[in-house]
Amino acid sequence: MDKEMYDVTIIGGGPIGLFAAFYGGMRQLKVKIIESLPHLGGQLNALYPEKYIYDIAGFPQTKAKDLVDSLVNQAMQFEPTVVLNQTVEGVVKTDDGYFQMVTNKEMHYSKTILISAGIGAFEPRRLNFEHAKQYEGKNLHYFINDLNHFADKDICILGGGDSAVDWALMMEPIANKVSIIHRRNNFRAHEASVRKLEDSDVNILKPYNLKEIHGDDEYIQSITIQNLETNECVSVELDELITNYGFVSSLGPIKEWGLEFHKNSIIVDSTMRTNVEGIYAAGDIVTFKGKVKLIATGFSDAATAISSIKTYIDPKARQQPQHSTSLFEKIKA
Amino acid sequence: MAFVITSPCRNEKSAECVEVCPVDAIHPGDDMYFIDPDVCIDCAACEAVCPVQAIYAEEEVPEEEEKFISLNRKYFEEIS
Ligand SMILES: Cc1cc2nc3c(=O)[nH]c(=O)nc-3n(C[C@H](O)[C@H](O)[C@H](O)COP(=O)(O)OP(=O)(O)OC[C@H]3O[C@@H](n4cnc5c(N)ncnc54)[C@H](O)[C@@H]3O)c2cc1C
Ligand code: SF4
Repeated sequence: MDKEMYDVTIIGGGPIGLFAAFYGGMRQLKVKIIESLPHLGGQLNALYPEKYIYDIAGFPQTKAKDLVDSLVNQAMQFEPTVVLNQTVEGVVKTDDGYFQMVTNKEMHYSKTILISAGIGAFEPRRLNFEHAKQYEGKNLHYFINDLNHFADKDICILGGGDSAVDWALMMEPIANKVSIIHRRNNFRAHEASVRKLEDSDVNILKPYNLKEIHGDDEYIQSITIQNLETNECVSVELDELITNYGFVSSLGPIKEWGLEFHKNSIIVDSTMRTNVEGIYAAGDIVTFKGKVKLIATGFSDAATAISSIKTYIDPKARQQPQHSTSLFEKIKA
Repeated sequence: MAFVITSPCRNEKSAECVEVCPVDAIHPGDDMYFIDPDVCIDCAACEAVCPVQAIYAEEEVPEEEEKFISLNRKYFEEIS
């Protein structure tokens, strides 16, 4: 367990958390980011990786996932600690003014917190069967880490969006057999990918609904699916079941940390301070007079929040930082 | 802002929108679905999948459908 004390722990690795991590590094703070998904990038990676964004200052157009890559590269120059797959559930302020954060896995320690949790912690939309949970981490997958794991296997993929189609196409050459099961007649993926899918050896089953999963104590062995037009049920044997029903997010526990909210947003002042001393917030999750929820304005929140955190930790520091043009090289030297 | 479901949903209730909404803002009413304007993040995913084009961004709702802006909001005020 990492019992180290950080200057600032950033909750949420979306674009705003990533930029805050960079800015924290530049202001020589010891930074940790905690993100509930196995990847960084927030809404950009979870909801619209392939879309173009046109309103990032200085970039006439940039693909969402490319912007994330750039933000990650920029942030990693200062080597922040990155904790993935953990959702911060509770925050406690100790008597000496530090914070303890508990996640679903461990405890984290920090002098200050910057909440850039956006619209809340993302998680994959899970299968709606009570006994499905026990197969997670075995042969029920919501994420793909290692393609090799699927070599020579019989694979079923549930879903009809870009990721489901892309995964089917990636697995088809290495797997024994790939089936994709979608509830609708039309895939919600790029036309070109759908065409590729139709030309491939992937077994396309639509419009089918998942009715039941069958397995033993260890693994799912087969699923029953029902044709939504004919009501006919079919059983499909499988080695691996991949579910891609997209992501859902919810603010969940954040609302219980004693912070002042207006609807679903945390109220901050012009320094990005919340009502709890030592906790700051930035990005989509905040509200103040005139707040506009955009990436561009979130970046600005992040720079302000980090400057406020710097002066909170070190009252002699200046709120107005030196410009990166002079500061960056000095720090990296 | 928020997205709004309008009259074509009434007999349709296809629920494709419910499946794609990343914040679970879409709830079933008696004869149609409604979007919670305080939860919607304007991602437009529902608009794209609606088979009957019942969903609009609030400022693009056709004039004859405008009453649905308050109907969507009211539904959630009443259940909360
Ligand atoms: C389809 C779509 C198109 C968009 N287009 C544009 C555009 O063109 N221009 C623009 O400026 N904006 C656009 N936006 C909005 C933009 O994506 C958001 O403003 C931006 O993502 C906000 O960034 P954020 O870092 O504040 O939050 P998010 O991107 O929401 O990231 C927050 C992260 O925090 C994590 N998290 C939350 N709670 C916890 C917790 N308790 N523990 C651990 N991790 C947690 C979440 O998993 C998430 O990864 C668009 C949004 C959508 C959905
Ligand atoms: S616009 Fe997005 S967030 Fe709003 S209701 Fe539709 S799918 Fe949900």
